[in-house]
Amino acid sequence: MRCDFPLLSLAVALLGVVAPAAAAQSPASPPTTSQPTASTPPVTPAEPEPAPEDSSAVPAPDAVPTASAAPTPAEAPPPTPVPEPAVKPDKPGSRGPHPHDPNSPPGLADGFHFGSYGRVIAGGDSTGRAGRNGDIVARGSRLDEANYAELELRREDYWKSTGAYTRIVATTAFATPIFHYNGQFSAALAIRNLYLEVRNAGVKGLSFWAGSRMYRGDDIYLLDFWPLDNLNTIGGGVGYTFKTGTELKFHAGLNQPTDPYYRQTILRPPAYNQFGSAEVAILDRQKLVSSLKLSHVWPIGDSGGVKGILYGELHYVPEGQREIESKVYEAVPKDKGFVGGAQVGAFTGKRSTYVNLTARFASGIAAYGELNAPRQLRPDRTATGAHELLVTLSGNWERGPFGLLMGSYYRQFRNASRSLDWDDLNEGIVIVRPQVWFAKIAGVALEASYQAQQRGVATESEPNLFKPVFAQMGRFGVIPFITPGGPGAFQRPQIRLIYLLTVRDGATRSFYPADDVFARRGVDHFIGVGAEWWFGSTSYFR
Amino acid sequence: MHDRRLLAFAPALLLAAGCLHFDTLDEPVKMATHAKDWREAVIYQVLIDRFDDGDDGNNNLLDRENMARYHGGDWIGLENRLDYIQELGVNTLWISPVIKNIETDANVDGYHGYWAVDLTQPNAHFGNLDDLRSLVRAAHERDMLVVIDIVANHMGQLFFYDMNLNGVPDILLQGTGTRPQGTPVPPGFDQSGFTHITEYDPDFNPLGVQAFTSLGPAGPAPVVFPFDPKSGHVTPMPAIFQNPEVYNRKGRTFNYDDPQQLLTGDFPGGLKDVNTTRCDVKQAFVDSYARWIELTDADGFRIDTVKHVEYEFWRYFTQRVRQRLAAQGKNKFFMFGEAFDGRDELVGSFTKNDLPSDEELARENSCDDGPKLTGDQLDSAFYFPQHYQVFRDVFQDAASTDRIAGLWANKTTNYGTVAPKDSAGVAPHKLLVNFIDNHDVARFLYFARERVEKDPAFAGKSLRDKELRLRSMLQNALLMLMTAEGIPCLYYGTELEYRGGNDPSNREDMWRPYPYLGETTPPPAFDTTGATFAFTKKLIAYRKKLAALRRGDTKVVWSTTRTGDESDAGIFAFERAGGEAGSNYVLVVFNTHQSHDSRTQFEGAAMTVSAPAGAVLVDVLGGNKKYTVGAGGTLDLTLPPVSGMLLVPQQDV
Repeated sequence: MRCDFPLLSLAVALLGVVAPAAAAQSPASPPTTSQPTASTPPVTPAEPEPAPEDSSAVPAPDAVPTASAAPTPAEAPPPTPVPEPAVKPDKPGSRGPHPHDPNSPPGLADGFHFGSYGRVIAGGDSTGRAGRNGDIVARGSRLDEANYAELELRREDYWKSTGAYTRIVATTAFATPIFHYNGQFSAALAIRNLYLEVRNAGVKGLSFWAGSRMYRGDDIYLLDFWPLDNLNTIGGGVGYTFKTGTELKFHAGLNQPTDPYYRQTILRPPAYNQFGSAEVAILDRQKLVSSLKLSHVWPIGDSGGVKGILYGELHYVPEGQREIESKVYEAVPKDKGFVGGAQVGAFTGKRSTYVNLTARFASGIAAYGELNAPRQLRPDRTATGAHELLVTLSGNWERGPFGLLMGSYYRQFRNASRSLDWDDLNEGIVIVRPQVWFAKIAGVALEASYQAQQRGVATESEPNLFKPVFAQMGRFGVIPFITPGGPGAFQRPQIRLIYLLTVRDGATRSFYPADDVFARRGVDHFIGVGAEWWFGSTSYFR
Repeated sequence: MHDRRLLAFAPALLLAAGCLHFDTLDEPVKMATHAKDWREAVIYQVLIDRFDDGDDGNNNLLDRENMARYHGGDWIGLENRLDYIQELGVNTLWISPVIKNIETDANVDGYHGYWAVDLTQPNAHFGNLDDLRSLVRAAHERDMLVVIDIVANHMGQLFFYDMNLNGVPDILLQGTGTRPQGTPVPPGFDQSGFTHITEYDPDFNPLGVQAFTSLGPAGPAPVVFPFDPKSGHVTPMPAIFQNPEVYNRKGRTFNYDDPQQLLTGDFPGGLKDVNTTRCDVKQAFVDSYARWIELTDADGFRIDTVKHVEYEFWRYFTQRVRQRLAAQGKNKFFMFGEAFDGRDELVGSFTKNDLPSDEELARENSCDDGPKLTGDQLDSAFYFPQHYQVFRDVFQDAASTDRIAGLWANKTTNYGTVAPKDSAGVAPHKLLVNFIDNHDVARFLYFARERVEKDPAFAGKSLRDKELRLRSMLQNALLMLMTAEGIPCLYYGTELEYRGGNDPSNREDMWRPYPYLGETTPPPAFDTTGATFAFTKKLIAYRKKLAALRRGDTKVVWSTTRTGDESDAGIFAFERAGGEAGSNYVLVVFNTHQSHDSRTQFEGAAMTVSAPAGAVLVDVLGGNKKYTVGAGGTLDLTLPPVSGMLLVPQQDV
């Protein structure tokens, strides 16, 4: 059910601009996380349930028309319709020439539009226990991810008098559990987008936005991971696309995660001898997060290209004070952090074939992610010295009925405190998903991953000889699926069966608390059935 | 099988990953003998949780405004402050127990370290093994020694006695609390005056804690090990401590004069008394605690609550620990015990080599796991009798100084003159650990303040005047501490004029100092410019410089029974000379009287010293004022109230 067809008439010009970029970006496509991803302290395997995550769609470059080899700035509403998709819709209908391609970035067209990402899974282990994320690394196989869905509604307008486009986006997201699972008539609901964007704002190529949004670049689908830039922010930004296609974006936002690090309220007598007590925010500081991103695509051949990105963030919290006992105050120092990173990618522009390499270094409070409070600080109560190093390699290749999707990363995180502890870690994963499609509508994917993690806790390897614990885990999955949209690693919607074998070594098992089944099982089986879709959402095409 | 397959992939990933690196854990510790002569030591007692927070990473559930809760100090914090400690001059650290504790019980945390639950794991609030090793290594690099506190009498609040057989730990409070101790107790009622029954800590019953139901006695109360990870009630380790049979299970000691209660009763607070006569228990304690030395290369044990444990245990424990460590290159390992008691003979009984009867020895040797046991026990004892009779009675309360002489005269008799085999190598009576105060008693200044407040001579005097007197009293006590024979032990914060009352008020944060005496604003944390810091530093420097203060014999040359208006009231003087000090000579003189000047003479008889007539002695604490020994070795000195002299031959200054 594609609901964004009205914008198709506007899409072509934009696609002509975006396609190369999208081709490089989309392969690294979908999901985002509602929690702050890998720049946060690690997701501990002890979590009873996987953290709620959201997702986004994956544009399949070969399904996206490429009107121009050289990227150009975003243009006025395209006068021409979107070219025919590479894959014909099963039910060509009245909704336009490209009604079922979930990988086309939505264009701009007057009216209301709807988009969505979703995944729902029913599954469990071989003994019937509820399924749960079994990865030890922060970002691992998503075959056993929990349910998650985004519903996006947006309003788009072209203003003839100024030549500007506006887009108002409101995205709600739902995380597990859902009603039909636990019988609780409630939902874990979040607003993931709520912003207004203005393009060609007086100057061609100049754009502004303000509001609350997911603000991010390319991802690694297999890991549900945006390695270079992935901000959940409320603020505003400005962007400019040069005639060369080079794009420069700056944004700044403020947030205040719920944590005593940012806010402390105390009770005081109300003014003028009124009864009761009044709550006073003695500490009430926000974190400023700003980012700067410079990207450029060098076209190669008819549809391919090389994409380069330079990226940086600044995080800052001002000083403050908190009350440590009645009328006794303690100064809270200001703190800051930086992120520097780069990405280089190459894409063919055909069938989502690409490779992306990113490197990212975060320091200070930025190492903990934008929505976290830093922990395990230095004695001066700052996060100076904390850092996260991240290197990722991902890609996709498809030919004929075959495809190979892969992702990998190495991550090093150190908190600010001197001593090594549980949260200090090195970790990495290599994950590959070869797949084959049959009769355009079905296929089988295999997924294999090797993940390892070294944590800052010592184990006695020999008498009186201690080493940081080093855990390893292997996972192997078989995923038969049907894809009405036809072949393609990023083709959705998809209904699939999942079998996932997990093999844990002793160190991995030692990561879990006593009596956790993951602490007891060296081998585990996950079996499930699920669906995944994405279409018409702006979250993945910026 | 699967593990092996996975391991095949490991090298590639490791290569890419780089490694986490612990500073000190890559290689096993190579134990060595760092101590040369324990008489050289000046101990600095540190309550780790209160000294300095060097690592936020191990802070968990802190409540710094509550003295009974964790405050965040850790081993890294102490290591970070070694410059401060070295500046003071001390050269030995006594640190809190290092093992994992019950987290919290009855709204009190195990921040002090004496509530063991797992002897094999470090107390994560203080850091990890790497941090502890790093501390010990850093100390050794500065020629400092490290003494680890241990407890062998009891474990923490591991279980409760299910006295009413309902499966949960009950607490009952009732009664008037007016029944004097020792009066007859009706059967079935609590032994305390105030009926406060908690199934974690019921009163002692020689038959073992009993169960009762509405129909009457129901036999021995079952013990229940609760499992509550949040409060730290987890599975005790090593595994032997999971067995109820290794505990005496008789309830809380309330009469310390009853030997059975003393040895087999639980320590107040619900701390479960272990049956330390069992071979497996003895072996478990040796294995557990010796391992911490093998893991860290620390240099000694301070041992808690020794009077609550049978002598046979100490003979076993000390000898086996020495043998085990010596076999690995660690000699002169120092073990001193705490018997919280003013009775000199009792305290000394844990160091004195009183050979037990053949029958006893035969029974003790039934463990049959090493060389035959002898009468050797601890190297030394925490000199509690001196704390009471000297620092409290004389230096706080101005009691007669003859009690000092009397106490010291019994050292050889009570503590023994033979060093245990493979021990620190010095006879116990020369190696007692002297202290003014510690974490279990109110700080010196706390009670001294009471004394001054009650002193008529200070009625109407300003607060500043009173506080300056307090400083004089403290500094006089410090002079005694640093010059008396034995090993001085300074409780952290004393040098900054800390003045907290009884536990836990005496366990202040080192990072939140008081204003100095006579002042109103506190100095910076870890200040080294205060008057008492400077005074202490000076004393320690002289102790290092003058061999007589470390290794000289002691000869009391003046003490008095007089405390009134007499000319020598409050005077106490002793020489440190001879022994292994060569020709070095020191004379220490005190006036502990709090009102008037006193002289080292009474009714025409002046003090006689060993220094030859004509010798010039310099008071290195008194502006290097010189005094000449008169004919026959007489020396007539006049000292202001609450003052002291450290007199050194001119050529040694």
